[in-house]
Amino acid sequence: MNKDAPMSSVQESVGGNLSTQAPGLDLHEIQASVLRQRPAPYFGSHVLLRIDDAQEGRAFLRRLTPHVDSAADWWKAANAWLAVGISYAGLEALGVPQESLQSFPEAFREGMAARARHLGDEGVNDPKNWELAYGKNQVHIGITAFSDSEEKRRLALATAREQYEGFSGVSVLAMQDFGAQPGDLNSLGYKDGIDQPPIEGSGVDPLPGQGQPIKAGEFILGYPGEAGVPLPMPQPDVLGRNGTFVGFRKYQTRVGAFNRFLRANGTTEEERELLAAKLVGRWRSGAPLTLAPEVDNPALGADPQRNNDFNYSNDPRGRQAPFGCHIRRMNPRDTKLTRLTDVNLHRVIRRGTTYGPPYDPNAVSEADDQVPRGAYFLFISAKAMATIEFLQQEWVNDGNFIGIGDERDPIIGLQEEGAVFTIPKDPVRRRAHGIQTFNVLRGGEYFFMPSLSALRWLGELGQ
Amino acid sequence: MPTQTLGTTAPAQGQSAEEKVRQLRELFADAPEVGKKALENTLREIRSQVAEAPPPPIESAGRVGARLGKVSELTIIVPLLPGGAKRLRTFLQLLGGNLNKGDKVGSLHDMRFVFLDNDTRMLFATSFDGDWDAYIDDFVAQIPDYLDLIDSAWEGWPGIRDPGAKDYLIKHQITAEGWYVAHPDLTVAEIHRLKKIGKAVDEFLDKVA
Repeated sequence: MNKDAPMSSVQESVGGNLSTQAPGLDLHEIQASVLRQRPAPYFGSHVLLRIDDAQEGRAFLRRLTPHVDSAADWWKAANAWLAVGISYAGLEALGVPQESLQSFPEAFREGMAARARHLGDEGVNDPKNWELAYGKNQVHIGITAFSDSEEKRRLALATAREQYEGFSGVSVLAMQDFGAQPGDLNSLGYKDGIDQPPIEGSGVDPLPGQGQPIKAGEFILGYPGEAGVPLPMPQPDVLGRNGTFVGFRKYQTRVGAFNRFLRANGTTEEERELLAAKLVGRWRSGAPLTLAPEVDNPALGADPQRNNDFNYSNDPRGRQAPFGCHIRRMNPRDTKLTRLTDVNLHRVIRRGTTYGPPYDPNAVSEADDQVPRGAYFLFISAKAMATIEFLQQEWVNDGNFIGIGDERDPIIGLQEEGAVFTIPKDPVRRRAHGIQTFNVLRGGEYFFMPSLSALRWLGELGQ
Repeated sequence: MPTQTLGTTAPAQGQSAEEKVRQLRELFADAPEVGKKALENTLREIRSQVAEAPPPPIESAGRVGARLGKVSELTIIVPLLPGGAKRLRTFLQLLGGNLNKGDKVGSLHDMRFVFLDNDTRMLFATSFDGDWDAYIDDFVAQIPDYLDLIDSAWEGWPGIRDPGAKDYLIKHQITAEGWYVAHPDLTVAEIHRLKKIGKAVDEFLDKVA
């Protein structure tokens, strides 16, 4: 394998110029995944563990921590890297002192299952319907291995496995390989993960369209946020500083239902692809409707210097990108919203991963809905719980913020019976009927992603 | 003195309609004649509504406050600083008492400023869309000075940028126990939208008539 290939794949996804200014962040402390984008192509695994014995759990962390990469030189990924998160139940299981536990945000302490009301996780998404591993405060540690090749993924996983095998006090609850999709398309057949918030001081200039760099403290604890002061940080300082929070949500994609919906609302291949683009705001190639309103442009979709370089100033009525489309909800940019909003406060780093067989455009049966195939959404920010709960309540499972009443996000929204999706059009808007829940939540948890020093501190508790 | 409690005479959960009505009658034995007569006249209707068609009950607006459908209420009673009432009254009068900057917020149905007890206390009440604190950070980021301009009249107000600001509001907020909204399914944005549609329909019908 070309020794330069891995560097260029991550560097490519970075795309932008390495900043001439020295980054202001403690890159040696921050975990690599916070700043390092998904490589292209990407391979990896998620491993969820339960700690059954505090001492064993700490010993496991002591052995694992030296293998966790920092964000120093984060744009040069020669090897695979590991990300480690710990849930509140996990911190308890490790024996973190009560005073310290109490300093964590309430939503994190409750755990994602207990926050179902705030997340709108009801009906099919209700935690009582989640997969066995989730929702019972048993998910303590989450490890994700990212790499740009199958070979490296295997090696990284073997490294992680060496650390927890032979530890009777640490059990594997679930393991899932992901990635290796042709063209890195997601479970609905789209190129995804394009837009990311630019972080001040990370060492890379923003890609065109990402907007002005946002204060690092919105994404990493211990630094000033947009209001000029650091966000509330868990104590003690060594535990909280340079850490961040992660919202982890596993979705099962109902490919059959999605394809049936496209076919019911479009008679030709062209009509269906346009409808598919209207749902997301991008064609499957990743080309944004705002720049390619009528016909797909795969070259545009593949170019990180161009595929995110737009705003909605020329589309005040949603004729290009419908107001309710997925990307316009997740990042409204300069859309005039119905209520006073600071969009920069609601951005989040996304490290999503697709799992299962590739999207199949001919899958139309209900059995196809059950094939284990879908997405893990990982949302990272210094206030991830508050942001995800806000997004779910205000921008995903409602349409009031953008003037479309009760309509919900077509990709991750929990749809009610008889839901519609409005496509603004001249002379008259079109409403596609029969939109269903295409991504069903199968489990999730809130994690704390400690700095490297914090991981060492946790491993040495009680010593 | 503001109180936060549900009354100790609130009906217990799980009481039947009949039991609730009987409890009401028992309490009205101590009511003034005017009240007793009124209950006699309305008893049949009340009983029938409670038994057959009880309205959707009010819910919580989040940490505090009541909510019906999409519309929530916030009611606070705060002590005023000396001179605070005068400053705030003068500011309100500049705008004829109508703080229509509320349009910019986009989720406020109404706001009420009432001075009490010889300008030593104030009632502030508003009805708005959604949960209590979903957008507070956005307000702090976008309109901090307008909030402080008003709230600086309040004794003990730490400033909207202070992390204790939310706690101050909660401390002085009293959750309403009765909350009626004519259109609980209509947010401010929805009202705008429906007005536009209504106007367009009228124009269209004019054309085809």
